Amino acid sequence: MRIDKHPILEFKKGKKVKFTFDGKVYEGYEGETIAAALHAAGVKVLTHSHEKKRPRGFYCAIGNCGQCVMEVNGVSNVRTCIERLKEGMVIKTQKGKGSIL
Amino acid sequence: MIKSADVVIIGGGISGVAIAYNLAKKGVRNVAVIEKGYLASGSTGRCGAGIRQQWGTEMNCRIAKFACELFENANEELEYEGDIEFKQGGYLMISSTEKEHEQFKKNVELQNSLGIPSRLLSLEEAKEIVPFLNTDGLVSATFCQKDGHLNPFHTTDAFARAAERLGVKIYKFTEVTSIITENNRIKGVRTTKGDISTNVIVNAAGGYSQQIGKMVGIDLPIYSERHQILVTEAIDQVLEPMVMSFSLNLYCQQVPHGGLLMGRGDEGEPRDLRITSGWHFLEEMTKTITNVLPPLKNARMIRQWAGLYNITPDRQPILGPVDEVEGFYLAVGFSGHGFMFGPATGVLIAECILGEDTTLPIDMLHLNRFKKGELIFEPSVV
Repeated sequence: MRIDKHPILEFKKGKKVKFTFDGKVYEGYEGETIAAALHAAGVKVLTHSHEKKRPRGFYCAIGNCGQCVMEVNGVSNVRTCIERLKEGMVIKTQKGKGSIL
Repeated sequence: MIKSADVVIIGGGISGVAIAYNLAKKGVRNVAVIEKGYLASGSTGRCGAGIRQQWGTEMNCRIAKFACELFENANEELEYEGDIEFKQGGYLMISSTEKEHEQFKKNVELQNSLGIPSRLLSLEEAKEIVPFLNTDGLVSATFCQKDGHLNPFHTTDAFARAAERLGVKIYKFTEVTSIITENNRIKGVRTTKGDISTNVIVNAAGGYSQQIGKMVGIDLPIYSERHQILVTEAIDQVLEPMVMSFSLNLYCQQVPHGGLLMGRGDEGEPRDLRITSGWHFLEEMTKTITNVLPPLKNARMIRQWAGLYNITPDRQPILGPVDEVEGFYLAVGFSGHGFMFGPATGVLIAECILGEDTTLPIDMLHLNRFKKGELIFEPSVV
């Protein structure tokens, strides 16, 4: 399923772009969010809970809950549900709570 | 609600529950704690969760050291099933003026003379403790490894549960509406849930201590000022100690959960018991802290809140009985450090009520010091 309507973001489906997620190449559309592209590609586990390491998926989709934070181009704690996809993005599942250094 | 008690304590913050626990431990078990909200809903639960011994007056140093020693064994002593989260990552105090540097030298000398293992550091040494500290404009630092973090909610809960196991009654969401006196003696208390007759009342009401004082006709030389705090999302551990500066007006620590918690004072803060949040704090705090600790600009803030500093003219608490009303005791005016003094307050006030020799000499913290003008000012408060 590809998300095309969003409560706070406008989804203008742009051109097809390539990005990597945990080393694997994926395709999505420019203008949609990273999480939307991952969701459409069948990636359902976005983070893991800190204490018990349980899988966490798409939840609020508006940048509040923090269940979709990932490392994007080397930056931790990026909220992928509101961050737009761009060509060549290097996206990784975040280990731990994220570094600010 | 019980009809009579040996002691009624007003306030269910750390001071109130610690006093109750210590009274019960000494055999005075018919004790009631009256709290208008939930436990730690006032200043205790709103504080910066820091514990330090690096103070500038002898009494503050001695109380803080005594409290710290009690915290070290509190999980065991209170048989707590949880964890009070005492983490001794130290306090790194930074100075930014020559005058402050001179004060730091005096403070360390005083602290060392009282057995507090603090030391004066060069900026290079400070950077060994916090590598990303921006030392531009700084002069020196002091550090005490035994200072650190403590969870206010868990600690209050630990004391409350231990007190209740010994028979103390804690009445939450119950407000004191008046205090009954007869010939300047305490006779009882009226609350929203009923009356309790008693000969001894302890005012441990934190930010609301003046209101309780007025109920027996005592005008405490204290005001309550709003202080604000913000916290970031949880991130990987980057900051071991609390970083604090009086001249730059800031403190910041990373709590065990991973959030960075920070606060500052402001002369312009309201003194009308307001605890709403303000924009001004948010702007000043983020600007100041990202200058001193630059990587913090990469952390996302999630929440801010406010609480009350119950401030005395000399920034030292008022502990002990009052001359005007027999049976009325004060554990008030902690000036922003009531939580970290909590377990010491508990021991000292319990000893004082029972007429025992107190572990530390608290007579110089008596209310009448303001009348006599015997004030020793605490220079080290944010």
